[in-house]
Amino acid sequence: MPGRATVPDRLLDVPAGTAATPRRPDRPARRPLTAGGIVRRAVLIVLGVFWLIPVYLLLANAAKTDDQYGFIDVWQPVGLGGLWSNIAAAWQKGNLADGVVSTAIYSLVSPAIAVLVGSGVGFAIVALRLRHGFAWFVVIFSATVIPVQMILMPLFRGYVKFGLYDSRIGMIVVYTVLTIPFAAFVMRNFFTGIAREVFEAATVDGAGSLRTFARIYLPMSVSALLAVFILQATLIWNDLLIGLTLTRSNDVRPVMTALVAMQSTYGGSTMQVVLAGGLLVSLPTVVLFLLTQRTFTRGMALGQF
Amino acid sequence: MATALITPSSPRTPVARRSTNRYAWQAAGFATPALLLVALVLYLPFVWTGYLSFTKYSGVGPMTWVGIQNYQDMFANPDLINAMVNTLYWVVGTIALPVGLGLVIALLAHGLPGSFWYRLPFLLPYAISGVAVGIIWTFILQSGGALTEAVTALHLPGQDLRWLLDSPLNTWVMIVATTWQGAGVNALLFGIGLASIPPGPVEAARIDGASGWALFRHIYWPMLRPLTTVVVGLAIVGSLKTFDVVWAMTKGGPGKQSETLALRMWKATFQENQWGLGAAIAVFLTVVTVVAAGLYLRRQLSESKAVY
Repeated sequence: MPGRATVPDRLLDVPAGTAATPRRPDRPARRPLTAGGIVRRAVLIVLGVFWLIPVYLLLANAAKTDDQYGFIDVWQPVGLGGLWSNIAAAWQKGNLADGVVSTAIYSLVSPAIAVLVGSGVGFAIVALRLRHGFAWFVVIFSATVIPVQMILMPLFRGYVKFGLYDSRIGMIVVYTVLTIPFAAFVMRNFFTGIAREVFEAATVDGAGSLRTFARIYLPMSVSALLAVFILQATLIWNDLLIGLTLTRSNDVRPVMTALVAMQSTYGGSTMQVVLAGGLLVSLPTVVLFLLTQRTFTRGMALGQF
Repeated sequence: MATALITPSSPRTPVARRSTNRYAWQAAGFATPALLLVALVLYLPFVWTGYLSFTKYSGVGPMTWVGIQNYQDMFANPDLINAMVNTLYWVVGTIALPVGLGLVIALLAHGLPGSFWYRLPFLLPYAISGVAVGIIWTFILQSGGALTEAVTALHLPGQDLRWLLDSPLNTWVMIVATTWQGAGVNALLFGIGLASIPPGPVEAARIDGASGWALFRHIYWPMLRPLTTVVVGLAIVGSLKTFDVVWAMTKGGPGKQSETLALRMWKATFQENQWGLGAAIAVFLTVVTVVAAGLYLRRQLSESKAVY
């Protein structure tokens, strides 16, 4: 099949350093404006504006005070007057404060451990030529396909039994292990792009394998490590199901689970406070996305392949 | 293939093979943490759930072996049939909307200077959680909400529709909410695929006078096919697991009308204490997922093997 679109090649097999700059030599030269080009632009802009309407509605109504909500049309903006009090209400009464702290811990610690452990197995397979390496790789990679529903019940039972239920350690463990297969998949594929000579040169220079791993392979892979870390941190931040199953108390429960609880205990929180809560918990990941667009989208693409 | 771009690793001659023994212990040391954790926290529970699906168990007390009883119950239970139908809607809807729209957006943006910026509004919702997406769209779709108001103000049909209260309409609109979240990822993937198509055939077809639909039909579409398989496979796998958005928008209600299989499994287990039935649903979901994932997994693994 000539010229088929092979995405993984492009994404994975680029040695460190060049990966962050997706500008391609084969990008078509700037064409003069054509009628077709203008129409395509116009359609995209209209569709893009349409796409941002829900964001607008979120902002406009998370900012309405109790006096305004229900009396002023939902489509009409009111300035940001009520936004801070609504966010404060979600933060305190909605118990989002505890959730934000725990979830920040989970989404920083778990992917950090997972990329290290995943890189370790990738290094063992690629550089150290682990016996039956490809078979082990398939074993780990296959775990990315298992629906999380398949492990929830035993996890719940096991966690209750070993005192990990409703504990931060337990949450860190489960998020870490759920992240390892993907991290191992990406890092193993990334390491295959590092020339064998690198490893051999390090060995000749007397570096042990731990040193080669920590001082050469990991620094060469910073872009991939970062892409995996950022994507997985976002996924953990956004998790609902694990939190719903394995936690109960306010200071362990992750933020999305807390938010959904806020929404259902309707007596406590008004719609505009729930919306403000939704805005608040979305800010970290959206800001992260805006600050790291290239790395983030690279992680997204890697996440699909 | 891009393996040509990098220095090929030394061929696996017998000499190279023998030298691996030097690192055997270290390799085991590096690989063990990952393998052990994955075995303990993913594969062991996996097997346990498989066993559980052949038992009757309420979460506490004794576990009784019942053979395939749970599976028989599953296909006779109206709540489960309903959840299966809804899940089927999710699968079909997810292929049609987020994937289809993603392709359209990618095609529109392809080759435009600054195409990244045109795609940005569509990518943004991906950073937002399913729960937050659910909350935003609940607000839009609730009775007398933003959509009903807009439809009324513009004198469009649909003013009396109860978006989240009537089934299967509630499932359809939740698929739309998910489309809002997910179309951008697919646009991104298709965009990368389009960018990797070599300019030669496209230019040749242009010279032959092909443009628009003909160009898409005869050049882009065939060349995107391997990628489309992956994207569709991922969409199926993702939609089979639908949970967060539904939980945040309807909790599967009213009643059990908008439940998906993933939601039914959770409720059966953790709210109704029918662990055996919950496990059977989980196994069923897994089997369907693995079959669907076979669409793209084989490809991924063969490419991984190719670079090994």
